[in-house]
Amino acid sequence: MEFAYLAAGLGAGIVAIGAALGIGMIGRAATESIARQPEASGDIRGAMILTAAFIEGVALFGAIICIILALKS
Amino acid sequence: MIQTLRRLFLTLLFLSVSTPNLFASAEDEAAKESPIDIMGTVADHDYLKTPFGKIYLPRIFYWENEAGEASLDAFSNSKAAIASGSFEDVDGIVTPVAGSIIVDFSITSHLIYFWLSLGAVFIFTMFARGRYLKGVGRESEPKGAVQNLFEIFFVFIRDEVAKPNIDDRKHAKYVPYLFTVFMVIAFMNIFGLLPWAATATADITVTAVLAVCTFVITQFSGTKDHWGHVFWFPGVPLGVKFLMIPVELIGLITKPFALAIRLFANMMSGKIMIIAILGLIFIFNDMYGTVAAYGVSIFSVVLTAVLYILKLFVSLLQAYIFTLLSAVFIGMAAESHEHDEEHYHAEHTA
Repeated sequence: MEFAYLAAGLGAGIVAIGAALGIGMIGRAATESIARQPEASGDIRGAMILTAAFIEGVALFGAIICIILALKS
Repeated sequence: MIQTLRRLFLTLLFLSVSTPNLFASAEDEAAKESPIDIMGTVADHDYLKTPFGKIYLPRIFYWENEAGEASLDAFSNSKAAIASGSFEDVDGIVTPVAGSIIVDFSITSHLIYFWLSLGAVFIFTMFARGRYLKGVGRESEPKGAVQNLFEIFFVFIRDEVAKPNIDDRKHAKYVPYLFTVFMVIAFMNIFGLLPWAATATADITVTAVLAVCTFVITQFSGTKDHWGHVFWFPGVPLGVKFLMIPVELIGLITKPFALAIRLFANMMSGKIMIIAILGLIFIFNDMYGTVAAYGVSIFSVVLTAVLYILKLFVSLLQAYIFTLLSAVFIGMAAESHEHDEEHYHAEHTA
């Protein structure tokens, strides 16, 4: 089915939008808090990477489903 | 400068549009298929690519013939398995003529790279062990590049990953596992950057095995509080306690699942991206001729070089994230609360 390709492409795009929003918010919050409290930058960076990894995980679930959809048809 | 570049790109664009008409007659029907095999480069193989040629790896099958007798057979490579008469080649996969394979124990390229990185970690660690036994690094400063490198990684894992995330009294027990898992993943990822090598972490089975290790260690280090949270969630009404049991059980499984998928997808997507961008050269060569291929190669090779630098960073970052999340999960399970939650809430809400 050609629609599976369409769904996979659209799905990958939507996944990217979601992940970009999430990681953008983390980045904004982290840079803001580092600016407010530069001495805590180490801890904030660690928390930032950890949270970004969780969002990345969810985004990759979506991406994997898209790849499976595209390869299945 | 910009003008020259623009003219160059315009010329290339023009060529890429106009050449199909010139070469259309010479196009072969059989060459319609994609000139590069993207999924083949990330898939597991029964041979090892080296700069000098392919080394075929042994195939070991635990299989069942048509009479239902199970037997363990080993062949020096896939061709020998087919030559033996009991196996045949079906779309590139070795399958029995009759009967079925129960377990495929074959040594594949990903397994070889997994062993190679394990060996590298073993040698690295034993070298440092020898040094520390002699007193270098304990009574004096660490000596040499290798021992200093070891100390950088080890101290990083101990102080930045294990200590902040796992209970202070227990964290020393988990440092060896975290260090090993970090080094093995880092070695596998970096071996995957070699031009002819396979990325073992771009295989879901490899990452799943690593995630299962973390899962087992997490469950075995679970305290009373951890299991209490799973089966009898504290501080909620009775009905909700029953509702929380399936949710918490799913939560146990999703953590290692996410660990495996994250590492696998990161490494595979990087590999596919590089192959796809480099493959553009060959696709353009097929579709629009040599000139277009040269034009695309300027863009492709530069982008691939940048991507490789990014991948080098991502290799270490993903190893770090896997280790960090393992430490966080173990820390969450091994944590024992100083006072029980209901008591705590009663104290603080009053």
